[in-house]
Amino acid sequence: MTDDKDVLRDVWFGRIPTCFTLYQDEITEREAEPYYLLLPRISYLTLVTDKVKKHFQKVMRQEEVSEIWFEYEGTPLKWHYPIGLLFDLHASNTALPWSITVHFKNFPEKDLLHCHSKDVIEAHFMACIKEADALKHKSQVINEMQKKDHKQLWMGLQNDKFEQFWAINRKLMEYPPEDNGFRYIPFRIYQATTERPFIQKLFRPIASGGQLHTLGDLLKDVCPSAIIPEDGEQKTQVMIHGIEPMLETPIQWLSEHMSYPDNFLHISIIPRPTD
Amino acid sequence: CSMAGEEDFFLEEKRFKQYCEDFVKHSQQIGDGWEWRTSKDLGDGYLSKTHFQVRNRHIPPDLEEKNNDNTEPTLFAHVEEPLDDSQAAGAGSTEEVVRYEYHVLYSSSYQVPVLYFRACFLDGRPLTLDEIWGRVHASYQARLQEGPWDTITQQEHPILGQPFFVLHPCRTSEFISAVLGGSQKHRRHTNYIILWLSTVGPVVGLNLPLSYAKLAPEQGTN
Repeated sequence: MTDDKDVLRDVWFGRIPTCFTLYQDEITEREAEPYYLLLPRISYLTLVTDKVKKHFQKVMRQEEVSEIWFEYEGTPLKWHYPIGLLFDLHASNTALPWSITVHFKNFPEKDLLHCHSKDVIEAHFMACIKEADALKHKSQVINEMQKKDHKQLWMGLQNDKFEQFWAINRKLMEYPPEDNGFRYIPFRIYQATTERPFIQKLFRPIASGGQLHTLGDLLKDVCPSAIIPEDGEQKTQVMIHGIEPMLETPIQWLSEHMSYPDNFLHISIIPRPTD
Repeated sequence: CSMAGEEDFFLEEKRFKQYCEDFVKHSQQIGDGWEWRTSKDLGDGYLSKTHFQVRNRHIPPDLEEKNNDNTEPTLFAHVEEPLDDSQAAGAGSTEEVVRYEYHVLYSSSYQVPVLYFRACFLDGRPLTLDEIWGRVHASYQARLQEGPWDTITQQEHPILGQPFFVLHPCRTSEFISAVLGGSQKHRRHTNYIILWLSTVGPVVGLNLPLSYAKLAPEQGTN
């Protein structure tokens, strides 16, 4: 279906206008100008901010620079979460551009994973893809692929090459003709208010009677507070890639069309704006 | 990573919890320090153990240690008696205490247990992965470097949301099957957690006293 392929493109090419500002306590030799950048929703902060790093390092002394990290309104941003997820979870109902603060000192060891090189990002990305396939296909599809296919998934993401990525990823989105979907759906549900970083459980896309489970079915099963209105009022929004999909949407369809490149559906439950 | 094959032995979550319960009971009997922690919101949980390791580093007076790439065999000791000044006797001998925290969680994606751990010095500074590797006994490093199940990466703890080191769960079911072998019936009577932890634990400095092997099969189950 042409429409469905358009969804894949819209997801891939989603961007968030962002303004990076250097933390005021960082020691600079000259004043640091903010840096503006359109961030890809589907990528990772440390993968797409080389220019940001270079820009601020120009006004700093070498000895003042250690591992870069990002923060939004006091919250360290987890680089291993896709950018779109971070934005939806923390800033979706605020004015654009997204204002992110850049740090080069006092790395928050208790909050953030280290990211010393691109290899770390690749390893994390591939681990997510493998876990997703363990859920969808008992790892059969990912294991049948050659190393060069795995590499192509990563290179596609790194170089923002939609066709290159999907040439391989489409195989991860297939299922045996006798089934009507994946074995289990790879998903994670995030709420900024909980200590638990996310909810992840085994969930089948097809009910025993053969009906397609919906997004609403998933939420009812693993996170009922997200859709049960308090006093008749819906206090929360369910957001994926910056939109609120209808709860009647089949979860199998969402998994095939609105997963991130890591093959997971990253779903944010956020407070509904009160205006 | 593979999850395929009927021969592979997978652990259902209910069974994981039961084995952990039996494990904690035995730990309490021998004072091994393991406890089960339940999360308040969803009722899932994990095994947890914290212990302190003291390392006596004997540095010959004419050799200055420049970095952490030392190959000097070191002595590991569990702190059983209180530390006293006599342990720091002599010039060039330092004592280093590291706090290790181990958690055993269940991975529903791979249907196996997963070992999470972190370590820090007494001043709170966390150890880097290199520093942790440096403290694993040399013989384990050699033997397990080839093993596919020894990959250690830093990951987010799925319940606490904090950075931990993780022993990759990918090939767990494969090697557990290889060790367990035999019939389904035999497998069901072995405490998977004890078997698994006694194999992977030593890689990261975690040892199980031999008395765990005496744990009667299916204690408390059925």
